[in-house]
Amino acid sequence: MSATTELRNLGGRGSTAKRQNKVAFWFLLPWFLGLFAITLGPMVASLVLSFTDYNLLQPAEFNGLENFSRMLGDARLHQSLGVTFTYVLVSVPVQLGLALGLAIVLDRGVRGLAFYRSMFYLPSLLGASVAIAVLWRMVFGADGLFNDGLALFGVEGRGWISEPETALGTLITLNVWTFGSPMVIFLAGLRQIPRMYYEAASVDGASRWRQFVSVTLPLLTPIIFFNLVLQIIHAFQSFTQAFIVSGGTGGPADSTLFYTLYLYQRGFGNFDMGYASALAWLLLLIVGAFTAVNFWASKYWVFYND
Amino acid sequence: MQRRLILKGLGASAVALPGLAACGTGGGGDVELSDEPVTIRMTWWGADTRAELTEQAIAAFQKEHPNITVKGEFKDWNGYWDALATTTAANDSPDVIQMDELYLASYGDRGTLLDLADTSDFLDTSAFEAATLETGQIDGAQYAIPIGAGMLASVVNADLFAQYGVDLPDDTTWTWDDYAAIANELTEKSGGAINGSGLTGGTDAGSIRYWARLHGNELYGENGDVTLDPAVLASLWEYNLGLAASGGIESAAQSVESQSAGIEGGSLATGKIAMGFGYNTQITPLLAASGADLRLLQLPGNVEAAANFIKPSMYWAISSQSDHPAEAATLIDFLVNHEAAADILGTERGIPANPAMREHVAADLDEGGKLAVDYIESAVAGPAVVVTPPGGSGFDPMIQRYTQEVMFGERTPQDAAEAFIDELKSEIDAAA
Repeated sequence: MSATTELRNLGGRGSTAKRQNKVAFWFLLPWFLGLFAITLGPMVASLVLSFTDYNLLQPAEFNGLENFSRMLGDARLHQSLGVTFTYVLVSVPVQLGLALGLAIVLDRGVRGLAFYRSMFYLPSLLGASVAIAVLWRMVFGADGLFNDGLALFGVEGRGWISEPETALGTLITLNVWTFGSPMVIFLAGLRQIPRMYYEAASVDGASRWRQFVSVTLPLLTPIIFFNLVLQIIHAFQSFTQAFIVSGGTGGPADSTLFYTLYLYQRGFGNFDMGYASALAWLLLLIVGAFTAVNFWASKYWVFYND
Repeated sequence: MQRRLILKGLGASAVALPGLAACGTGGGGDVELSDEPVTIRMTWWGADTRAELTEQAIAAFQKEHPNITVKGEFKDWNGYWDALATTTAANDSPDVIQMDELYLASYGDRGTLLDLADTSDFLDTSAFEAATLETGQIDGAQYAIPIGAGMLASVVNADLFAQYGVDLPDDTTWTWDDYAAIANELTEKSGGAINGSGLTGGTDAGSIRYWARLHGNELYGENGDVTLDPAVLASLWEYNLGLAASGGIESAAQSVESQSAGIEGGSLATGKIAMGFGYNTQITPLLAASGADLRLLQLPGNVEAAANFIKPSMYWAISSQSDHPAEAATLIDFLVNHEAAADILGTERGIPANPAMREHVAADLDEGGKLAVDYIESAVAGPAVVVTPPGGSGFDPMIQRYTQEVMFGERTPQDAAEAFIDELKSEIDAAA
C-alpha cells in the first residue's frame, strides 16, 4: 500500500500534479478494485477476529484484548521478532548497497549491459520462489555445493542451514542475492541524472569519488528512499524462503522463525486463528511504523531536484 | 465440555467410556442414497503413487455406481491440513476426508465429522475388530474408520553391520544400554565413516510415548491431559546427549539435515547411520531409497516391557457438512471392504486394518510389505495409547524444536523438559 503512496509522491510534484493525479487514478483503478474486492474484506475480517478466540472449526468467541495481552508473555513471538528484525536490518542495507554498487558499475557503459542487467535481475524474479528455496537448501546443506567449493580451498564446511548460528545467515544471503530489482531501479535513476552536472564537476576538478558523493548520491536519494521503503516492507513479509528451508518449522531451534512463519504456525498449525489475526495486525502496525519513520526521516536526507 | 478421548489399539483391554453425547451431529435416520446423479468430493494427502492408485480405485467405484461421481483432491501433508481447516471453516469441506490421529480429536471433538452410526446402512464395519474400530471413536461415537495400522520399529542396516564387523543385536533381549554400546561400537569400527545411530527420540510423539511407557509414565492421561514427567523426558535427552558426546549418534546439525531431507533422503536411507527408528510401513520407501539390507527389529526393552503400541496409520471420515453422506459412506465401504479396491490400493496406506483385506493382499506383497506385516504380527504390543487431544496437533514440530535446543546445547534437558510440558499443556488448555 505504502509503495503506491510513495509512487504518487515521487511523481506528483509540481504544477501538473492535478492532471497527473487523474491519470494516476485510472492507472490505479484495477489495483483499487482488487483491494476492495479481495484484500479489504479479509483485512476487516482479520481485524474483527483479532479480538476473538477462533479455532476455524467452531464459531469465534469474543475475548476482548486477550490476544494482545498474550503477546507480552509469548516467548516465541519475541524470538520471531528478533529473527525478523535481524533479517530486515541486515539484509536490506547490504542488498541495497550491493545493488547500488553494481548499478554504478553497469552505468559506466559496460559492454553487453543488457545481458548483465538481465543476469543480475534474474534472482529477483526467482528469489521468492519455492524452487530457489529448495535449491538453497541443497547448496548450503552439509553435503551441498557450497561446502564442496570450500573443500577445494581445504576449508572444512558445516551444515549452514542446519545449525542455529548460521541458518539465518543463509536466508539473509538469499535475500541479498535478489538485489536485481532495486539494481534495475537504481540504473534507471542513474540515467535520469543529467550528464552536464558531471561535466561541470570535472571542469571544477572534482575526482570520481567527489562526483559520486556530491552529484550522484544526492540526486539518487529519492530512488534510494523508494527502494528502502519497498525492500523493508518486502523483507518483513518474507515467508516462502524460511518455510521451505526449514520445512515450515522455523528451525533449527527457532533460529529462522520469521514473524510470518510464526503467524502461520499459530493460525494453521495450532487452530489459533484469533491470535494469528492479532499477530497479523501487529505486523501491519510494525511495518506501518517503520514506513512512517522512514517518511519522516526522509525530510532530512532525501533531495528532490525539482 | 469434558473430553474423554480414548484411543485403544488392537487387542487392548476394554475401557469404560462415559456415555456423553457426541457434539455436533444429529440423530440420522434420514440418510439415504439419491436416485439422481450425485457428485462427492474426496480428499487425501500423499504423493503421486497414492494419487494414481486412489484414482484407479475411484474409477472402479464409479463403474459400480454409475450415478455417483467422485472428485479426488490431494495435497502434500502441510498444505492438506491448511486446506482442510479453511474449507471446513468456509463450510465447503470435502465429503470424504482422509484423517490422521493427530487431528482426529481436533475435528471430531468440534462437530465437523459425521457420526458414522448415521450411515451404518451403507458403511459396514462388521469385518473390523472392535478394538480397531475404537481407535476411530471419540466419546464412543465412530467418527472415522481406520484404514491401516503401523507400529514403531528399530530399523537396522545389516549391510553396514556386516561391513564393519558388528554382530546384529538380539532384539528379544536388548536394552537401551545395549543399544548405546552397539551404536558406539559401530562408529568406532567404521573409523567415523558412519555414526551408529540417529537420534533415538524426541522428533515425534511416538518416540516420547514409548520412552515414557518404559519409565512407567504416559504422555497423555485418559482425559487427554498431559501426564508426562519432566524427569522422564529429560532422561531421554540426557541419553542422546551422552551418545552424541561419544559419537554413537550423529551430530545435532546432521540430525536436522536428515530430518528435513525426509525418509528417502535421511541418514538411514543414505547409509550415514546403521540404526534408526521408523514406522514399520516406512520400510518400503527406505528399502527403495537405500538399496540396503534393512531389517525391522523390536524396540530396545520392548519384549520385556511391552510398551510399544499399534498406531492407526490413517482413517477415512465423512464431513458433517456433507450433503451426500450416504454416497460418501458407500465410497468408504468400497475402499475398506471390497477386494476390488484392496487389489488396487494394496498396502500403500499401511497394512489394511480390515483383517479380511489384510489377508487378501498378503498373498502378493512386495519385500517391504512382507517385512512390515511380519513385524506387526511378531512385535509385542502393549495397551493402546490415548488419542492426541485437540491442541496437540502441533506436537511433532514442538518437540523437535526443544530437542534441537537441547542437542545444540542451548538448554539443559531438565529446563527444556519443563518448558516443553508447560507449552504443550497451554496449547491443550487453549484448545479446550
